[in-house]
Amino acid sequence: MRGIHMPDLKQAGIIVFSLGLIAGCAEMQVKEEEGPRARVFVANESSNSVTVVDGDSFQVVATVDARNHATHDLAVSRDGRWLFATNLASGRLSAINTRALETVASIATGDRAHVVTLTNDNRQAWVANIGDNTISIVDTSTFRILGTIAVGKGPTGLTFSRDGRFAYVSTQGDKTVEVIDTVSHRVLKAIPVGTNPHFLVLGPDGRIWGTNTGGTDIYVIDPATQDKVGAINVGPAPQQIAFGFKGLQGPNAYVTVAGLNRVVVVSADPTNLRILEQIDVGQRPNGISNNREGTRLFVVHENSNDLKVIDTGSSSVLATVPVGRKPIRVVYHGS
Amino acid sequence: MSARAGSAVGLAIALAVWSLLPGGGVAPVAAQGVPVGTAQNAVGTLVVVRTDGIEHRLQGRGALTLFEGDVLRTEAGSQALIQLRPGIPVALNERTTLKILSRWEKAGTMRILRVSRGGVWAKAGDGARQLEIETPAAVAVARDAEIDLKVTDAGQSALTVVQGTVELGTPFGVCSVRAGTASVGARGTACTAPQPANATAAVSWKQAVTQ
Repeated sequence: MRGIHMPDLKQAGIIVFSLGLIAGCAEMQVKEEEGPRARVFVANESSNSVTVVDGDSFQVVATVDARNHATHDLAVSRDGRWLFATNLASGRLSAINTRALETVASIATGDRAHVVTLTNDNRQAWVANIGDNTISIVDTSTFRILGTIAVGKGPTGLTFSRDGRFAYVSTQGDKTVEVIDTVSHRVLKAIPVGTNPHFLVLGPDGRIWGTNTGGTDIYVIDPATQDKVGAINVGPAPQQIAFGFKGLQGPNAYVTVAGLNRVVVVSADPTNLRILEQIDVGQRPNGISNNREGTRLFVVHENSNDLKVIDTGSSSVLATVPVGRKPIRVVYHGS
Repeated sequence: MSARAGSAVGLAIALAVWSLLPGGGVAPVAAQGVPVGTAQNAVGTLVVVRTDGIEHRLQGRGALTLFEGDVLRTEAGSQALIQLRPGIPVALNERTTLKILSRWEKAGTMRILRVSRGGVWAKAGDGARQLEIETPAAVAVARDAEIDLKVTDAGQSALTVVQGTVELGTPFGVCSVRAGTASVGARGTACTAPQPANATAAVSWKQAVTQ
């Protein structure tokens, strides 16, 4: 029988340590299987950062340095693991690992990178560069730029149709929304929409909703005809749109109207657009997002540097969360 | 082992583990004002436009320092040779416009040339000497490879590989292009299947500027 000596003790220690690691990993595995928690991400343009807020407790979890300047827009992957942030002043896209809560890549897209949207399969991030009048196509796994698409003057909003066949790009300079064929990467049509069109989003019925931030109205585009099928005045400087329900009523469009310091609630039926309600919020509301169920709204305010959580059932503010300086965009990812 | 010695060992282990992490902890995003190479020769004129719009011109041999964000331009009848750090020679054919960029990642920084038109020759190495060349329709990833890439005004990008193997990617797929073959990436299409090509002839244009 061999006696115990120092190397054996070391080996035993390594085995015990390894077993501990395995046990720890197993525990981590169990926790991961429980799924990630709901998260709210806020882009702080003047802080160059992203504030991460727990979507249930509304407590700030972390502030992530975007490693760039003027963090403006956000897009979160369907699985919630990746967050992409545009940085206007740097002309770059930050790739943020939401588990590690850190920026892991900085990708040069183009002059004044403004908005980012993920393709429906999440394989590409499309970035609108206002200064270059281009869309950069970024591979979300390699972070390489696979190509660019020339568009009209000052692209500021970007979204995809439900089937992914078309991309919609609002152009401030041309006052249009351009329809891009995602197969040929060619602009098929430019739809006149109004003054200083900005934010674009896919609505709950598959239509495209947009704001004319230089004017007072929002509009709706039908992908079946590629025409503007509705518009309604909501007040000066409408910014962004989210969707939700008020009890049985809905879906409704919730529009941040910076000039009123309100969220204006509009029926989301483009054949019968009408204002249903106005909710007082903070100073200069801009970004707005909804939870998956459409019962909570998350609104950020450029002037008061905070996030308000609104219950759509009662149209009341549930919480006010301090964030970074000049928050522009907020996105929600459910658990 | 004393408590102090134990602490020292612990600190050493922590530092060793930290140093093994990709990027070794904090790394800066692409820094403006840090030289990234030099322009060494121009047949005719090489125009270098800084990020603030200031223009420099190189005619003949020289050592014009290049920075991230610089736009390099040759017109008809002009060619240029630049050397990117830490040792990536690149030649610009006539009527070429490119921008020097990078992508920062925790694992390291990738040097990128964004070619909007014209033709370039490059010889990339491994590690920090890798190079990505972006065009309006494709991206070529060169590692231990010598390549020629021609970009038309419409963005169509024709890659010929002289040595090594290069990935040519478009939004619709990736092609692995080996030495002695060529592939084309165009807007709205996947890269073409690599076909045999006369690589020597493809890069013959660079002789005047690389001699």
